[in-house]
Amino acid sequence: MSEGTAPSPFEGEKAPASPRADLVTAAVLFALGVAIVQQALAMPRFVEQSGTGLTAPGIVPGFHGAMIALLSVLLALRALRRGGWAAHGPVAQGGTDGRRLAIAAALGILYAGVMVGRVPFWLASALFVFAFTATFEWSAGPAGRVRRLVEAAAIGLGTGIAVTLVFEKLFLLRLP
Amino acid sequence: MTDALSMLAGGFGHVFAGGAAFHALWAVLIGIVIGALPGLTATMGVALLTTLTFGMGPNVAMLVLVCVYVGAIYGGSRSAILLNIPGTPASAASTLDGFPLARQGLAGRAMGISTAGSWLGTLFGTLILALFAPSFGEFALQFGSYEMFWVAMFGIVIAGSLSGGDPLKGYIAGFIGLFVASIGQETNHAYARFAYGNGDLAGGLGLLPVLVGVFGVAEVLSSMRGPAVKAVSSKIDSVIPRIGDITAYWRTIFRSGAIGTFIGAMPGLGEDIAAWSSYAAAKRASAEREKFGKGSVEGLMAAETGESACVPGAIIPVLTLAVPGSAPAAVLMAAMMIHGLNPGPMLAITSPEFIYQIVAMLIVADMVKLFYGLVLVKPLLWILLIPRERLMPVVFVLCTVGAFAITSRLFDIWVMLGAGLVGFVLRELRFPMAPLVLGIVLGDLLDKNLLRGLVLSGGDLTPFFTRPISMGLCALTLVAVAWSIPGFGALFRRRQAAMPK
Repeated sequence: MSEGTAPSPFEGEKAPASPRADLVTAAVLFALGVAIVQQALAMPRFVEQSGTGLTAPGIVPGFHGAMIALLSVLLALRALRRGGWAAHGPVAQGGTDGRRLAIAAALGILYAGVMVGRVPFWLASALFVFAFTATFEWSAGPAGRVRRLVEAAAIGLGTGIAVTLVFEKLFLLRLP
Repeated sequence: MTDALSMLAGGFGHVFAGGAAFHALWAVLIGIVIGALPGLTATMGVALLTTLTFGMGPNVAMLVLVCVYVGAIYGGSRSAILLNIPGTPASAASTLDGFPLARQGLAGRAMGISTAGSWLGTLFGTLILALFAPSFGEFALQFGSYEMFWVAMFGIVIAGSLSGGDPLKGYIAGFIGLFVASIGQETNHAYARFAYGNGDLAGGLGLLPVLVGVFGVAEVLSSMRGPAVKAVSSKIDSVIPRIGDITAYWRTIFRSGAIGTFIGAMPGLGEDIAAWSSYAAAKRASAEREKFGKGSVEGLMAAETGESACVPGAIIPVLTLAVPGSAPAAVLMAAMMIHGLNPGPMLAITSPEFIYQIVAMLIVADMVKLFYGLVLVKPLLWILLIPRERLMPVVFVLCTVGAFAITSRLFDIWVMLGAGLVGFVLRELRFPMAPLVLGIVLGDLLDKNLLRGLVLSGGDLTPFFTRPISMGLCALTLVAVAWSIPGFGALFRRRQAAMPK
């Protein structure tokens, strides 16, 4: 962010999403909205219990689903007016950015989704913090790499032990 | 009046009985550090600290969370001034004049202005809370199911209209939030909606895991994706606020305090809008308009006062209507519920003293914030230099603990991951997060009151539109929707422009 270009909520924080991206989003949201309405209609009405059916569990989610579908149609119409049907798609993000994001997401899922609950929490956390730091600092070049790896291992181990001690012993919380 | 004063004294007594000074000192410090670090927001801070408060008594827990909230909103200005990067979204307006001041070698003075503005802003907002929340709470007792339905709708609409650049996406985000809240067993027949036989889904998606995902995991991903923050070394002059800066701009301070508190009290808008609105109002009214954006003391003062006044403002609807005024206030409200405090209209009857306890907590937090503003400058500079490659994995570990701790279910960690990934994608597609959060928080309120209203009226929709307060809230909601329709807004603005001055 350069000087004087800090985002304003009134003008949108960043450049608006491309019309094509909006169109695809609208299609996905429309499908979601319709699916919610369909599921809501399929819910039991409990007319015998309530006498009127006005407490049917599907009423509220059905309303939400209908609104999501309706608003996504408006989003699609707006995207079309902005040229969403044109051949050019959303601007591709820089390769490095995408790779960094994919690595961060993959490590996060591997840690929270796979390791936590199967491996002792302190060990899983130590390994995750080490892997995360080491991976992202690898590109800094071979100079000082060994030192950085040792530091990453120390941070990982420190985090694992400190979090376990603080949460389990001090605040008496259960950890996964 | 005497009652109010004695309850306020009681509030202070209650807060100090829990070891307020000690807890306020560490909690505000954590808040300031969280706020100062780019990528860690006040919402995330309050959500993560909620985990730590499970084992505490309700009064200590609330004090800790209020202190983190107050500290984080203030802390954001450190990185805004020194790095030109808002530590929290609320501090974005502070970069406009804070960073130019720092570049002119006046970083210390800028931080002094920020400290003074923020301190006075929170104090002003707290005063308004103390004055109006009890009577508004009593007024809110007249709200029945029909009115509460409209309060929830108004919250979604106003947050959708104003919290991002795009009202349409704001509304969609709000309804997605409402849908998420409808997953799990409903109250009338205990029917598990969208559960498909899964016991975990039948229990519903926990508010805290979803919030930690949307604000924690998504922030970690966003932060790792973007370019690295380059720290600038800056020599810092005296950070003691100058009395002259305060007396010269007392009008700006009052105006920004009032705007900040008002915007805070509107459901779902939050500190960033408060800061921008205060900044815009100060610029319009200023005699030295040309200095704005180039290092204006008045501009920085307005933004800081506005954002900090918003904090008590955002707590007003939490206490009186159980509707949060901002995203961190939403988490604070969730924490109140976890600790067995029932925010909402009944609070004025069941425990009117709680409002004054919150006032006392805000004042304690504000004083500690002032203390740190004066002494905590150099250590914060070191913290700002922690590389994200080392900070973000630790934050992620804390998010995981935060999501798990409340119910000890691995399912909640999956919910956090899912919410984080979906939140990240929605953010990339420019969907604002505030209406989403508000939708999740208000979902239950809307659900219960819509169905209860329908049952009470025998399926007749007219009471939703004809009861006096309902009618007013409905009109406000419709005006908010109309305002966001491009044609309507433009029409009004053209008329306004055509009006003779």
